[in-house]
Amino acid sequence: MTMMSAEQYEKSLRRLNLVVYMFGKRVENVVDDPIIRPSMNAVAKTYELAHRPEHEDIMTATSHITGTIINRFTHIHQSIEDLVKKSKMGRLLGRETGCCFQRCVGMDALNALSIVTFDIDAKHGTEYYKRFVKYLAYVQENDFTVDGAMTDPKGDRSLPPHKQPDPDQFMHVVEEKKDGIVVRGAKAHQTGAVNSHEIIIMPTLAMREEDKDYAISFALPSDAEGITYIMGRQSCDTRKLEGGMMDQGNLLFGGHEALVVFDDVFVPWDRVFMFKEYEFSRQLVEQFAAYHRQSYACKVGVGDVLIGAAQTAAEYNGVERASHIKDKIVEMNHLNETLYCGCIACASEGHKEPSGTYCVNILLANVHKHNVTRFPYEISRLAQDIAGGLMVTLPSEKDLQAPETATWLKKYFEAHHDIPTEHRMHILRLIENLTLGTAATNYLTESMHGAGSPQAQRIMISRRINMHEKQRAAKKLCGIEE
Amino acid sequence: MGEMVKVGLKYCGGCNPEYDRVALVRHIEESLQGRVAFVTPESEGVGLILAVEGCSTTCADLSAFQGMDIRVITNIDGAEGFIKEIRKRV
Repeated sequence: MTMMSAEQYEKSLRRLNLVVYMFGKRVENVVDDPIIRPSMNAVAKTYELAHRPEHEDIMTATSHITGTIINRFTHIHQSIEDLVKKSKMGRLLGRETGCCFQRCVGMDALNALSIVTFDIDAKHGTEYYKRFVKYLAYVQENDFTVDGAMTDPKGDRSLPPHKQPDPDQFMHVVEEKKDGIVVRGAKAHQTGAVNSHEIIIMPTLAMREEDKDYAISFALPSDAEGITYIMGRQSCDTRKLEGGMMDQGNLLFGGHEALVVFDDVFVPWDRVFMFKEYEFSRQLVEQFAAYHRQSYACKVGVGDVLIGAAQTAAEYNGVERASHIKDKIVEMNHLNETLYCGCIACASEGHKEPSGTYCVNILLANVHKHNVTRFPYEISRLAQDIAGGLMVTLPSEKDLQAPETATWLKKYFEAHHDIPTEHRMHILRLIENLTLGTAATNYLTESMHGAGSPQAQRIMISRRINMHEKQRAAKKLCGIEE
Repeated sequence: MGEMVKVGLKYCGGCNPEYDRVALVRHIEESLQGRVAFVTPESEGVGLILAVEGCSTTCADLSAFQGMDIRVITNIDGAEGFIKEIRKRV
């Protein structure tokens, strides 16, 4: 098998034996759980589109290790064109699903490790890269979804890992064995964790020698013994339990996050990709983060959906010709396409690393993600402005169906004779979903904090800017000689 | 009418297309019924490649078809030109 279909992907998840908790109970059937299933549908879309002729040019790539056609989500970027196609793939899938499709984080972890394992070997004479390539071939051959897990709970933020009162606040080695290591800790905010076949662990920050027990990277099957998933809540999540075809807004897709706990989990050596080489933890964090900040190209696709919904709401309300509405739609597009500029730019200005992997321009990837922490909020504000207050005061779908109330709702919420009231309600529910419902988790707060909070990007921007050259240019023009 | 042309159909990835590429191909197929057979571009006996690009960036990877006869469509008007050409030819 090289590329799974959406159906094969779903079947493969059913074979996993994940330990998942939600609302205080073990989830026995993860795939069919109504809260989780929309997120599985979104990942399944990454498999489905790879088989469609009208999308395969973006969704597939040729493996540099086997020469076979693979899903791009398991590919190591071999050119600038690959990096650009990755950004385009994000926009495509964001638009197709209207949510987070969860699979980019594993691709970003694989690409970062393809660089860092090579560089560790070059310095220490280790064999991480060989191990990594073997693992990569396994992932590509099975077309796995991989969760790239970086964020530790971190405990007291003022203290480094080795000074934490609770050492488990950062993932760490608790035992070394002949055949592997035993690890303990947790990874927070793990997007798509229970839709993944594999999980790759990376350190969460730059480390010093005293923290070397925390400078580890490895991969495990997602159902390895000792791993527990505790699902995060999303605003309006239980609407998915109500049935119906309206109030959840997005009828098909969604995202999810989970806290993933590792309670003394064994990792065989052939799946360990960094072991106490603390001086490489910063590089791994920075390069993974840069790839993942590029991945926020997906928000452009979700923005496309929200802009389309706002324009439709304006038309349904009969206000689409008002100059201020037109201007707001232009502003939304301006912001959304500015985001697109950033994710294309960081890809186009990428470079080749010693391992042969192409990496994005780290400065531009951080600038792009920094814009993502802001613009979706303004796009959402404008969408709510255009939609009107009804998007938050609208009665439920059940009221639309109840004989006692249906007539009133159809009568008083009709805005345009040719437009069924139900259509107006559907589009308002979608805007609600994207700007303050389940999808706002990903379109707004994930845009703020995912792949690093705004301050993390500002630190990287300050590190990467060549201030000396800017000063030299300024001084030259005004006659300052030093 | 001459012999039916086997046309290898190659789409761009469709990240942000300016028109419905699949619907346009359906329109071309209906307009040229009996004159062309759309097949995958790797099929045997392909006489022509039709690249259906969603915008003028034309980013579909056509490197595998070097030396072959290729037509590129980037908008709805381009389809009419292609239909006319095939009608003249077949």
